[in-house]
Amino acid sequence: MRLCSGIIELSGVLGKRGIQTDVAGRRGNRMQDEICRYARSAKSLIKLVIPVMLSVCLLVAFKPEARAVPSYSRQTGLPCATCHFAPPELTPFGRKFKLDGYVFTTKAQVTDDKKDHNSALRLLEVFPLSVVFDTSYTATKSPQPGTQNGNFQLPQDVSLFLAGAWGSHVGSFAQVTYTGVTNHFSWDNTDVRYGNSERKLWGKPFTYGVTFNNNPTVEDLWNSTPAWGFPFTASNVSPTPMAKALINGALGQDVAGLGGYTMWNEHLYVGGTVYRSQHIGGAQPNPGTGSGLNIRGFAPYWRVAWQTTTKNNSLEVGTYGIHAKTSPFAVTGPTDSRTDWALDFQYDRTIPQFKNDVLSFRGTYIRENSTLNATFGLPTPAASQLRHHLNTAQANAEYHFGTKFSGTVGLFSVTGTPDILLYAANPVTGSANGDPRSNGYILNFSWWPEQNIDLAVQYTGYWRFNGAQTNYDGAGRNASSNNAVFLLGRFVF
Amino acid sequence: MRRFIPGAAVMAAAICLAALAPSSAAAAENDAAKTYAKNCVLCHAVDGSGSSPSGKALKAKDLASSEVQKKPDEDLIEVVTKGKGKMPAFGKKISPEEIKGLVAYIRALPNKK
Repeated sequence: MRLCSGIIELSGVLGKRGIQTDVAGRRGNRMQDEICRYARSAKSLIKLVIPVMLSVCLLVAFKPEARAVPSYSRQTGLPCATCHFAPPELTPFGRKFKLDGYVFTTKAQVTDDKKDHNSALRLLEVFPLSVVFDTSYTATKSPQPGTQNGNFQLPQDVSLFLAGAWGSHVGSFAQVTYTGVTNHFSWDNTDVRYGNSERKLWGKPFTYGVTFNNNPTVEDLWNSTPAWGFPFTASNVSPTPMAKALINGALGQDVAGLGGYTMWNEHLYVGGTVYRSQHIGGAQPNPGTGSGLNIRGFAPYWRVAWQTTTKNNSLEVGTYGIHAKTSPFAVTGPTDSRTDWALDFQYDRTIPQFKNDVLSFRGTYIRENSTLNATFGLPTPAASQLRHHLNTAQANAEYHFGTKFSGTVGLFSVTGTPDILLYAANPVTGSANGDPRSNGYILNFSWWPEQNIDLAVQYTGYWRFNGAQTNYDGAGRNASSNNAVFLLGRFVF
Repeated sequence: MRRFIPGAAVMAAAICLAALAPSSAAAAENDAAKTYAKNCVLCHAVDGSGSSPSGKALKAKDLASSEVQKKPDEDLIEVVTKGKGKMPAFGKKISPEEIKGLVAYIRALPNKK
């Protein structure tokens, strides 16, 4: 009986708040009667009903939801440095702005209040469009065979952003990027979200939201996870190690996901998204033939993080991961299974004695376990064994001299199961011994003469590349041959 | 009877006014609370203390503190309207009447602690 009355009270509360529609309410009432009958006759159902009702409540509660972009600055009336230590690194204010759905504004809006049978309206008077223009120069220690070293790109990338509030609770970070290498525009990182921070849970501030996005971890609030992690800029012409965990960018812009998130008491963040392959630009509906990663069903992504902020300190520790069953070049038949488990941390220390300079430490460790039934079973097998693992570790320390300069030192390491087919031999990009091991360092120095102009120099050094220090590709190329100097000019407006 | 009717009407009107007066005040406070929740909580927190993560990082003022409370209304209205330091200007988004209501709401914050 207590259960029944609890359900009735819960339904009443939801109904009063206008969350249920009439139809849903009638359905809810019928369901409620059914539940009550069964609950009276079988107490064992209690264990089933409570989680179901909690899930329903959560689903009902979740209504349909960076890189620094000036349209946010125009919308909020705040300088870039309020949200970023240096773009794209978010300050506590920037994280809250993102958490709330990119909607905070101090500027005039076209408004109409909700009354009678009318819906409300909250439209920005300024269209939230921004541009990022990147131009770069890349030189590797040894030229890639048959190519000219010292590569200018004007531009390397040009990105257009639709970034700002779409309504009182819905906003976006949506990016379209022209890339010089491919000479066309393509859809880039996108996060459209609903955020609501007007509620309390157990007497503490409670924010919840929904996100549509196209890159696992792009919805995240910290700079310790792959989508917004260091390095924040990179050359698109210098060689990079071939082994990469699924969550470490392998699905970026190739999937579509719908997820939800909560932040309780400004401390505990819990989020989850389910992803499915979209292969934007490919044949639709997806035949699978054009991609080595076709997600079968849905790939769940999870994120749990705890943060605490004091006057001069901000700390986050968390875990995230993804599980995906995929088929290479097909949407039927055997599947590969990959599970990525990751840990991460971020610590930002403001130093009042040094004019509020900021020292940041970030790191993540990703463990990928995979069983490659489908890849192993291809007509021409692309793996020589079924089970593999891959360990990725990344850590970096950054010092921000005000908002004008920043210097970063980063270390990275990838180790895993050797496989001469999965990590096949190929000049420059391949591995002669099938070993995925790579490690090295990245040094970055950025100068921001203005908050929307970044002039950066970045050096990437390899101690080991695709499994060896010397002759890693079997064609005589050493790991250090890929050491690269990267100069970047970024203009954001 | 004739005397009673105007008397009753006056009494009824007085009751209506008495009933309306607190509700309009409550409505004004409710509106101010909504305005505060939409625009100020991000930094100043629900209780005005500035204890939200954003508020701590930006060193937002405790609105219930004597430092803020001793300022005259005109000063608070000007800060909200034009901004000051790291605080942005809200004059283009919030109407002067709403800002006055907001200042009244801020004045009541020490009593809510």
